[in-house]
Amino acid sequence: MKLEVINLSKSYADNKVLNGIDFTFESGKIYGLIGRNGAGKTTFFNALNEDIDIDSGYFYLEDEYGRNPLDVKDIGYVISTPVVPEFLTAKEFLTFFIEINKEKIENTDIDYYFNLVQIAKEDQDKLLRDFSHGMKNKMQILINIISNPKVILLDEPLTSLDIVVQEEMKKLFKKLKKDHIIIFSTHILELAMDLCDEIVILNHKKLEQISKDNLNTKKYKDKIISALKDEKNA
Amino acid sequence: MLNTLKMSLKIDDVYSLNAFIYNLRKLPVLKDLITTDIYKSKSLKNVIHFFAIIYRILKAIFLRLLYFLTIFFCACLLNENNFSKTFIHIYFIFTIIGFFINNKLLVTSRKKYFSIIIFQMNAKKFMESLLCSAFFKNLFLNSLSLLIFNTFLHISLSSIIILILLPIILRITGEALNILFYKKYSYVWLNNYFLYFTILIFLLLLCLLPIKNIFVTSKILNVSLLIAIIFSPISLIYLLKIKDYKLLYKKLNTKNLAMNQENASAYSRQQMVEVKNKDINISSKKIKNKKGYDLFNTIFFERHKEILLRSAKKYAVLLAVIYVVIVILIYNNPAVFSATKKFLTNNLGYFVIIMYFINRGAIVTQAMFFNCDHAMLRYNFYREPQVLLNLFKKRLITLIKVNLLPAFVIVLGNSFLLYFTKQVNISMYIMLALYIISLSIFFSIHYLVIYYLLQPFNSEMQLKKVSYSLVSILTYVVCYFATDITLNYFNFSLLGILFTITYSLISLYLVYKFSPRTFKIN
Repeated sequence: MKLEVINLSKSYADNKVLNGIDFTFESGKIYGLIGRNGAGKTTFFNALNEDIDIDSGYFYLEDEYGRNPLDVKDIGYVISTPVVPEFLTAKEFLTFFIEINKEKIENTDIDYYFNLVQIAKEDQDKLLRDFSHGMKNKMQILINIISNPKVILLDEPLTSLDIVVQEEMKKLFKKLKKDHIIIFSTHILELAMDLCDEIVILNHKKLEQISKDNLNTKKYKDKIISALKDEKNA
Repeated sequence: MLNTLKMSLKIDDVYSLNAFIYNLRKLPVLKDLITTDIYKSKSLKNVIHFFAIIYRILKAIFLRLLYFLTIFFCACLLNENNFSKTFIHIYFIFTIIGFFINNKLLVTSRKKYFSIIIFQMNAKKFMESLLCSAFFKNLFLNSLSLLIFNTFLHISLSSIIILILLPIILRITGEALNILFYKKYSYVWLNNYFLYFTILIFLLLLCLLPIKNIFVTSKILNVSLLIAIIFSPISLIYLLKIKDYKLLYKKLNTKNLAMNQENASAYSRQQMVEVKNKDINISSKKIKNKKGYDLFNTIFFERHKEILLRSAKKYAVLLAVIYVVIVILIYNNPAVFSATKKFLTNNLGYFVIIMYFINRGAIVTQAMFFNCDHAMLRYNFYREPQVLLNLFKKRLITLIKVNLLPAFVIVLGNSFLLYFTKQVNISMYIMLALYIISLSIFFSIHYLVIYYLLQPFNSEMQLKKVSYSLVSILTYVVCYFATDITLNYFNFSLLGILFTITYSLISLYLVYKFSPRTFKIN
């Protein structure tokens, strides 16, 4: 499965954030998207998810059914500040979601999902309003993966989670990558290098893949940082 | 389709019930009585959901009967002798108004945000279910109401059928046109207030035609129904052909708008005081030689030109136009001449409410909080009494200056009116001028003082203090009742000036004494 981004451009007033991006993402890999503050990572995700109008660009998804324009239905987008219905309990949220999307969901066992993100029994009947940021984030990630979207966009998804759940999530993403295209944005280079198969940097308003070649971790890290620094010098 | 509707209703009910319980638990005794276990209870929620459905049906019937009753009363008021014809006339005009403004598909709501964006319901199915349920709901409610009211109206059966069908068939075309407009111009036309009110006022004026014995004829009704019948299938096909409902809803139902009512109002307040792009760059001349908080204050007011200076100028121009019109009328109409003369001598109370409406204090203090103090109050250095009071002084002076612009137009306008109504008493000119200026200063001080003393917003920018709302309401009520006072111009002006001086001295003292303690984020 492939996700093709063709000639994507986006400006805010006079400020061009994305300039003619061409890139192809493939399933079987987790892509770590790295960029400096304000480089446009969230804009890139928002553009894919049709949350903003773009100046130009096309997105195509190529799978066993052929090459078709990307449909928003095929995207699961985990945003950095989780949005959940505050006055539903975690259980109600999940139950309603499964009920509504039952055609897309293979496994409808609620306990299985709560187990997956380690939300204890006593928390399942709490209002989401009373959940911590990290707990809300777990719910958000869960909702976005159970409907089985082909493309999963993750914007800084792990930073608010405790380290045990972080490890669980990493395992889960690694399991999911076989049948999904996963793009993972983060500011933590170590995390990206540990989890992701490819590092892509958003630099000079374009996406650029930083190949690992035969470099060791230290040298690879230096290569990424110098590529990112380049933008400031340019 | 039915399932989509059922689920979105159920989610909304459970959500509202949970929110209700949550707020109930905030009350002291109930917090211990109701444990959080209550959220678990499925049976309770099912029972409530059942009653909520019954309540919804009864409410819909009640509201529709009320709507018909309103038309009925208006008909009796406008033309008692032909009230049946008048009823049909108003009903027809209201149907046309509904065609323009009563659109279900593009209205934003929490329910839509949840259903389509969070729960990922099929947006097209959601749209179809909305359209379909509105169709049958209106068919039932209109039939029921018209049958009941026809016991008084005695309209023929064929006309009744037309009256039942016309609004529901026309509605489909209305929805389609609204979406067509949105797709072409990227905004919902209802948000274009000029267009909205122009059409609304024009149509409402048409409702008055029965006074002159002009009614909508049965021919117009028949033709309208025919047009509706021709256009509705085309509209329906158009609506069903649209593929990107999800995108449409996503753009309209943003998170900020839909999350909850409190946040929604905070969001709209924020939008109201947003800094305009053209005000971001400040010319270096304006800030030359300015330092410290003086510079800080100047930057703030320069960036908020739109809601301050520009709006004060707009008011000034508007007032000037009104005065010119009155002067012209005075020349041509003796009744206006004597009314103006009487007004300026005996009804000075009306200026209180006029000054209340043109003062920008309330919105400016909101801008101060959202765009400045909200962030700055988190720093200790900003909350030092000296800094706070120094800035208060600077803000007050600027605010008074800005509000004086329209006040001067009123002073000038009044002087002209006095002159043209042949008043020769010079003390009248002076007292009236002082009175208007003191009123303008009063409102500037008033809003800034209550903002500093009651600082009503919390960190989420929600209006939290009841006392602030009470003072705001009280201010309006006092201004409203001031219009009833009929005192001779001299006494009234003197009273107004003395009141302003006393109020200002007391309130400024209170600010100096208490604001270092009261001016903080709640």
